[in-house]
Amino acid sequence: MAKKAYIIGSGCISPQNTVDNNWFFESVVSHESDHLNAIEPSYKEYINPNMLRRMGRAIKMGVTAASIATTEAKVENVDGTMSGTGLGCFEDSERFLLALLRNEEQFLTPTSFIQSTHNTVGSQIALIMKCHNYNHTYVHRGFSFESCIMDAMMSFDEGKHTALIGGIEEHTPIYIDLNQHAHKLDSHIDHKYFEGKDLGIQMGEGAAFFVLSDTNKNASSCIDGISMLYKPEVSKEILLKATQFLKQHNTSLENIDLVLFGLSGDKDLDKHLLDIIAGISKTNAVGHFKHLCGEYHTAGAFGTWLANKIIQKQNIPDAVKINLSNKTSVNTVLIINGYLNINYSFTLLSKC
Amino acid sequence: MDALIEKLKVQIIEQLNLAEVKPEDIKPDGPLFGDGLGLDSIDALELIVLLEKHYGIKIQNPADGKKIFESLRTMAEFIKSHGKS
Repeated sequence: MAKKAYIIGSGCISPQNTVDNNWFFESVVSHESDHLNAIEPSYKEYINPNMLRRMGRAIKMGVTAASIATTEAKVENVDGTMSGTGLGCFEDSERFLLALLRNEEQFLTPTSFIQSTHNTVGSQIALIMKCHNYNHTYVHRGFSFESCIMDAMMSFDEGKHTALIGGIEEHTPIYIDLNQHAHKLDSHIDHKYFEGKDLGIQMGEGAAFFVLSDTNKNASSCIDGISMLYKPEVSKEILLKATQFLKQHNTSLENIDLVLFGLSGDKDLDKHLLDIIAGISKTNAVGHFKHLCGEYHTAGAFGTWLANKIIQKQNIPDAVKINLSNKTSVNTVLIINGYLNINYSFTLLSKC
Repeated sequence: MDALIEKLKVQIIEQLNLAEVKPEDIKPDGPLFGDGLGLDSIDALELIVLLEKHYGIKIQNPADGKKIFESLRTMAEFIKSHGKS
């Protein structure tokens, strides 16, 4: 079993007011749309204007979330940076490709091409921090952020002490339009994904970064472990994997104070997770989070940010709850996240 | 010449996404790179494309770029000398 990873700093830009690290669901920002746009800060407060002018939104969100996390952790450098993204810098990719088409492959400028690659966020963070250490970007669709957690924990096993990890995703009008053709989208005004009555996902975007340490000094919570499951056929398979995962960490579902589900809002795509919720909600406190951030490849990073805050503040916001919890303390949170019924992950966080 | 300089100011701000810069902030004889407008090597590539796209001028010898992009005035003079204003 890998070493634990202690969260000593976090930063999050999402469709909620999370850019303020002290804000915690005093009021939920409601988006009456089939896609949730991130609430972005004034980036000039975080990024040099000369660098800012070349950055697309994914880079701005990622670099700013990383800056908030490192400031909270009071670290100037880390042993490794691991970034996760399903689509990378989509806006700059679009810009470059559209220029290619419109100008008939002439007059191509370098900026949007340079900024369009998936690893731009990680490299910009490294440039700003002047960090020459390990830097890796995972582009593993619905496992992109989860792979970062795994990499950071393995790096601690190899003797490293700190890591900066994060998940980044942006959407654009073209990407939303493509998704309207590929999936049914829905605005889910009542946010009750767990009732399983609607078809259609609500798209989202955002960036969440964490500074992890191999020691618990100044830690808000601890990531005990991460596990992933690809394309399960039945809900029992997910439940079995969760049970085995918890057993590996010397615990069981009955001992978990909150099970936090990443539902997409589409009753067909969520069918396995809805089965599990129906089965465990009599014995466990259960909640969900994607109605707050939307569905995207790295929404698990938002879920991890939320679980960390719940443990830190010892408070489950009403907006998250699916059932009423009689727990007076929240010492353990299990995130079960599903991405389009393809990628499932299990992340265990605990108080330290 | 002055009209061309004003046109270049707008084109440069747009091409280089200098959102914080207004046309009047760019001095016709001030340096574009380094301490002046603070442009860098990537911007130089953008300016080369700008000349080609808007004025049909290709810089044949990259070494000439340093002199051509010294200031707005040198850029405008280069465009004029190639009869493409």
